[in-house]
Amino acid sequence: MEGGFFYRQKNLMRSTNKIPLQRASNAALASLLNLTLLPVLGFAYLIFTFKKTDPDGIDRYHTILGIKINIIAATVLLVVSGLMIFFGGFDSPWTWVYVISYFTIVHTVFIVFAIWALVRAWSGEKLRSSFTKT
Amino acid sequence: MKYESQGVAKLYFIAAIGLFVGQILFGVIMGVQYISGDFLFPEIPFNVARMVHTNLLIVWLLFGFMGSAYYLVPEESERELFSPFLAKLMFWVFLVAGALTILGYLLVPYATLAEITMNDLLPTMGREFLEQPTITKIGIVIVALSFLFNIGMTILTGRKTVITLVLLTGLAGLAVFFLFSFYNPDNLILDKYFWWFVVHLWVEGVWELIMASLLAYVLIKVTGVDREVIEKWLYIIIAMALISGLVGTGHHFFWIGTPDYWQWLGSIFSALEPIPFFMMTLFAFNVVNKRRRDHPNKAAVLWALGTAVMAFLGAGVWGFLHTLAPVNYYTHGTQITAAHGHMAFYGAYVMVVLTMISYSMPIMRGHKASNERAQVFEMWSFWLMTVSMVFITLFLTGAGILQVYLQRYSEAPLGFMVTQDKLAIFYIMREVAGLVFLAGLIVYILSFFVKGKEVEVI
Ligand code: HEM
Ligand code: HEM
Ligand SMILES: [Fe+2]
Repeated sequence: MEGGFFYRQKNLMRSTNKIPLQRASNAALASLLNLTLLPVLGFAYLIFTFKKTDPDGIDRYHTILGIKINIIAATVLLVVSGLMIFFGGFDSPWTWVYVISYFTIVHTVFIVFAIWALVRAWSGEKLRSSFTKT
Repeated sequence: MKYESQGVAKLYFIAAIGLFVGQILFGVIMGVQYISGDFLFPEIPFNVARMVHTNLLIVWLLFGFMGSAYYLVPEESERELFSPFLAKLMFWVFLVAGALTILGYLLVPYATLAEITMNDLLPTMGREFLEQPTITKIGIVIVALSFLFNIGMTILTGRKTVITLVLLTGLAGLAVFFLFSFYNPDNLILDKYFWWFVVHLWVEGVWELIMASLLAYVLIKVTGVDREVIEKWLYIIIAMALISGLVGTGHHFFWIGTPDYWQWLGSIFSALEPIPFFMMTLFAFNVVNKRRRDHPNKAAVLWALGTAVMAFLGAGVWGFLHTLAPVNYYTHGTQITAAHGHMAFYGAYVMVVLTMISYSMPIMRGHKASNERAQVFEMWSFWLMTVSMVFITLFLTGAGILQVYLQRYSEAPLGFMVTQDKLAIFYIMREVAGLVFLAGLIVYILSFFVKGKEVEVI
């Protein structure tokens, strides 16, 4: 069915909750930026907006998601790469074989995930929707 | 199928898939030669296999683009194709010319091929990807012009949409930039300039327009999202592609005897080149998230999303990896380049053609989507090919990093062949991944023959 009940419901939800939606979108964007062009700054923005968000709102959800993802990404990328360098040795070519390949592919996985989170935030939804589309 | 003439696409797609198989067979042959240099020598020397592998790739992608255009344009323009006869005629011309050229590569030494095709009159042979005898190149131009005329007349006398106009611009650009392949100056540096005006301006310029429009078309069809939304995205994507990609050509002019300013221009503009690919991912995710219906062709949706992500990975990320002059100083022409070349070509252009085939082939065969079992096969082939391509890329990247270190970075640099010996483990793993890719391709072909409970008939 074209459109459908849930679709209209969602549109309704979207038009009535402009401000939290805006904040959720900004948070998701900050999370993506922190992973790409503006590391640290993006994260600072997330911490900064956290206080403004509504505890049960979609804005809080995406802010928390952004914070979590970036903490995990920082750990998984920087700490693991750091350990590889520490144990592999700075002067071993094999260290760089692992570090560069690992960093590039895993970093991209986080970015792609953050892109998905961003489009979910744009439509005012959590990562998993509670209803299916018709 | 709304218009009968869309059906010519089927011919083009079948040929494309056939040549794809040939391409991959030569790929795995070379993969063995990388491990054991004498394999199939002197019957199929590495340089010949390489030429066949890359030329088949280009030719089947062109078949794929043309088939896609023939399918898409009548529907978008709301009229039959200007001349279905011309489309069929050109199909056979192109197929015969392509087959003869490949046979020429395989059966006679390249120098002899140059002689019999009278390369001396207008020398254009001998450059990577553009190895075709001059007469084949002329054939390609004739096919391309007839195709453009056919598509152009259909578009211009029918309903004009942003999708068809972007597609037409991309296809016209493809034909125009190919003309640089006829100019072959003696000065090697100038020669390289013009060579890149074909190769780079294709894949990082006009082909991106083709890709974006095909992706947009399939996404409209499978998600039912409004055209206006999709058109806005298309504008931004193609603007970014052209702004970054044109001057971005400079990333090939760093070390070939060109002025130094190219190191700045090339680095800065090509660093922006990932943006259009990034936007395509954002666009595809956004549209699928906002979908108004679940189309029965799940495989096509998977291919569409996969294209966006893998193109971002192969072109955007792996391109950026070696595009800044200080990095490229070390990585130029190493296995890193091959890693990027594989994932970018697969992720962007192979996958977008397979997306179009996935969406349109069932319709041309009378169903809205393939039966469920066939779709399961198709999705398996998606994962087998895509995951093995990720591994091919990772192994080549590993090989490349080690190569750069041992051969160019270390304080006691090793010679080229000494280094190659040390990369053997990567080449073995690449070949294993390549065989999985081939298996995925076989599953893909089987998916067209698998029977099962049909979904909606149209
Ligand atoms: C779908 C798009 C793309 C395709 C199909 C593609 C394909 C290729 C191929 C096949 C080569 C090797 C050419 C040769 O020397 O034989 C190459 C080289 C290169 N590509 Fe791409 N590419 C794409 C996009 C990009 C992007 C977006 C960037 C930059 C962000 C990039 C950066 C480079 C660089 C720097 C080289 C030169 C490597 C060297 O110095 O050896 N590419 N590309
Ligand atoms: C759809 C899949 C594939 C695509 C799009 C593709 C594309 C390409 C391209 C663009 C090149 C030229 C690279 C450059 O100039 O840097 C190339 C070369 C090559 N490909 Fe593939 N290829 C594919 C599959 C395979 C497979 C499955 C194998 C084997 C396991 C393979 C093995 C090779 C080899 C050995 C070369 C020569 C590299 C060299 O000159 O050192 N390819 N391929
Ligand atoms: Fe390029």
